[in-house]
Amino acid sequence: MAEEASTQNKIRSGDTVLLRIPNGDTRSVKVEKDLIVSIGRLGSFSSNELIDHHYGLTFEIVGKNLVVLPPQNIQELEETDATNEHIVGDGSVKPVTPEEMAAMKEAGVHVSVPFSQSNLREVCPCFLQDIIKKQIDQHTNFELKTEYSKDKYKKKKEAKYAKVFTTIPPTLFNVCEYWYNKDQGRIRDLRIDALSQMLNLANIRPGGRYLVVDDASGLVVSGVLHRMGGQGRVLTICDVETPPAYPVMTQMNFPPEFKSIMASLNWATCQEDYTPIISTWDVEEDQIRSDKQRIRVNKRRAASDFLQSTREDLFAGEFEALVVASEYDPQSILKRLNKYLGGSCNIVIHSPYAQILSDLQVVMRASAEYLSPALSEVWLRRYQILPGRTHPMMNMSGAGGFILHATKVYDDPSAVPVEAHRRLQAKLATETQKSSDIVPSQQEEGDVAMTDAT
Amino acid sequence: MWSTAREIAPGDTVIAWLTRDLIQPLVVTPGKDLNIRFGYYRHDDLVGVPYGSKVGSRNGKGFIHVLRPTPELWTMALPHRTQILYLADIAFITSHLDIKPGSRVVEAALAHASDSLTRQPPQYFAYLDQLLDLTPHFFAGTGSGSFSHSVARSVGKTGHLWSYEFHELRASKAKEEFTRHGLADIVTLTHRNVCKDGFTVESAADAVFLDLPMPWSAIPQAKKALRKDCLTRICCFSPCIEQVQRTVTALNDAGFTEITMYESLVRPHEVDQVPPMRSVDDACEILKKAEQKREDKRLRQIAATRQNLANKRKREGEADLAEEESHHDTASGKRTKTDEIDDIPQEPISLDRNIAGSSEVADSTKPTAKTTVSKAFPEVRGHTSYLTFACLLPASPEVTVDA
Repeated sequence: MAEEASTQNKIRSGDTVLLRIPNGDTRSVKVEKDLIVSIGRLGSFSSNELIDHHYGLTFEIVGKNLVVLPPQNIQELEETDATNEHIVGDGSVKPVTPEEMAAMKEAGVHVSVPFSQSNLREVCPCFLQDIIKKQIDQHTNFELKTEYSKDKYKKKKEAKYAKVFTTIPPTLFNVCEYWYNKDQGRIRDLRIDALSQMLNLANIRPGGRYLVVDDASGLVVSGVLHRMGGQGRVLTICDVETPPAYPVMTQMNFPPEFKSIMASLNWATCQEDYTPIISTWDVEEDQIRSDKQRIRVNKRRAASDFLQSTREDLFAGEFEALVVASEYDPQSILKRLNKYLGGSCNIVIHSPYAQILSDLQVVMRASAEYLSPALSEVWLRRYQILPGRTHPMMNMSGAGGFILHATKVYDDPSAVPVEAHRRLQAKLATETQKSSDIVPSQQEEGDVAMTDAT
Repeated sequence: MWSTAREIAPGDTVIAWLTRDLIQPLVVTPGKDLNIRFGYYRHDDLVGVPYGSKVGSRNGKGFIHVLRPTPELWTMALPHRTQILYLADIAFITSHLDIKPGSRVVEAALAHASDSLTRQPPQYFAYLDQLLDLTPHFFAGTGSGSFSHSVARSVGKTGHLWSYEFHELRASKAKEEFTRHGLADIVTLTHRNVCKDGFTVESAADAVFLDLPMPWSAIPQAKKALRKDCLTRICCFSPCIEQVQRTVTALNDAGFTEITMYESLVRPHEVDQVPPMRSVDDACEILKKAEQKREDKRLRQIAATRQNLANKRKREGEADLAEEESHHDTASGKRTKTDEIDDIPQEPISLDRNIAGSSEVADSTKPTAKTTVSKAFPEVRGHTSYLTFACLLPASPEVTVDA
């Protein structure tokens, strides 16, 4: 097991790898044996240089090769008395000319020390340090800056010129963050905190049976599969004829056995009273004329059988959770899938909009089939935690969406709520009180009737 | 972990959902009774009933729902109910630490202040006291098994959780609980002070979670417990920013990288249905009418006063008492004319009553189309803890750590 986990943490040929470049952006690149990977201005290198390395390492591109850099530490900065009182924005920074830059690149030596070392001058002369030093020399006000300001300036320059990148482990957290930053609309504003809460609320575990409706580019499916580790069953219902591509899964680099527990139906084929139109070509064995035809017939039969078995799987019901992040009306989704949910099944629905889920909550609240539908909003804030400079990030994501969670229950219409029981008791009590007022002694029902008659 | 069968069997742990605020775990024991505010039940009645069923009481005094336990429900069923709010934290930590089937996790938690703490140096005790004072609910949080149950669920049979509990009594109780929940194979619980004695495992964990008042003091030990053959992760759960700062320094010194810190919260919303909102046009009309009414009244009063004056002149020379009376009338007439503000309470513009009247009109024309609205609860949790994360890169010959 340990060995398995260890290989999972290494870059393999065929992986789609996320790289973080100095300006903070993340790139997604395909790593394939003998393939050249190009990351824009940073340069290019051979995939082979990455294969078998652990995820999470930082590399410098030197020519066409990669050099592993040691991990970076956060550097303490010494407070000085400097303030910005003598600094005026008078254009005293003379930019390094393109000619100078070219000359330096020509003579360039690679960076072999952490590039965020606060004291750049002490480390070995190299291209990056040279170029930053040159800029600092031309920045007449540099020495007037505070240490924090100097650090910020250097970092900014490093981000601009360093030819380094870090490979990002393909965890659900990182992949979700990548997609959220890239295009949060495509994943329906499903931020990692929201996704994590959904997976926990849905009680996703290895070996479970789940129904997923994912119009968030496969992010929800990826999360569910990630938490199942190839054990259990996942059915997804989609709005396309052939099983959807779920692009988010690309960066997850799932081994095939993780994906094999998943099958997809669409909104037509998931209907029990609908017969999918599949030209099965009910060709008798003896009528098959060529091998080509036989392959075709077998293929179609297999597809048909697979569809049929997937449908049967759905119709068997007793799913443990329904997880939804869909562009379709959640009420219509529930209406279709409710009958396949087992007792105590967790229903977890995400939407970027509170309105959609509050409408749904009202409908669910009125039904005895759903226990305690609850609506909540997710909130996440990241902090900068540099020594002496800890504060929340100036910008935060405001849209992580809303989550509705409810539990599917089996109603028993004969069960009396305790309030109704109390009302009934109170009513009975007053009635007995009244009748005992009329008839002082305890009598049988017949006697009461007789007294009433008299 | 818990039963996955469709129906409840004797010996199952079930969650009896009485109300949203009253949830209790139950081990189904034939022969036993359940006598609560919501009626009288026999455990035998639950056997064979599908999970998720509504069960009516034997005496007709209400009903309960019997649910399949989940770590989330289990947390809600604990006496410290507010902890469900930690769902956000637990979920986020699970994702960030990449806890998944097969993961090996180390968790160190500290339950309520206990006798064993008095054996610590005095300043430790004072500090702890201060922290516990600040966040009395907090240490009960993960120490109560919320996180352990959640992690055990996520890592499954192929994974493992080593849980370290500082508090002896709590440790033995938790151990019992894990066994009862069928987690004995997945969770190893040890009673010890990890800051002092370290962990029982070395180079074994994919992730470490520290829920301790002084997490920085356990970081060197945590590093020892983490695997060195692949990237591993740590999370420290601290309510105070000063704790975070010391933790960050300790993590940095120990060679951890990618140090980040987050705050994650849930904002529960209440949903309501309200009648359509009124237009200011209505208010405008009502105000105009009220103004007109008041003006009419004023004019009537002026007319009446004039009449009175005329009558008075006619009766000149009559008794003093009568004169005084008519004088009083004049005064009140004048007041109506000049002091309009005082007039308003005399003739209150009953906005509510009037509008209720007008909405009745609206109701008769169209059926009550209610609007669904939602807003955050008036009081929500504003802070649980800061979540500090860091990574430890594999120590392989390809990387030379010392710079």
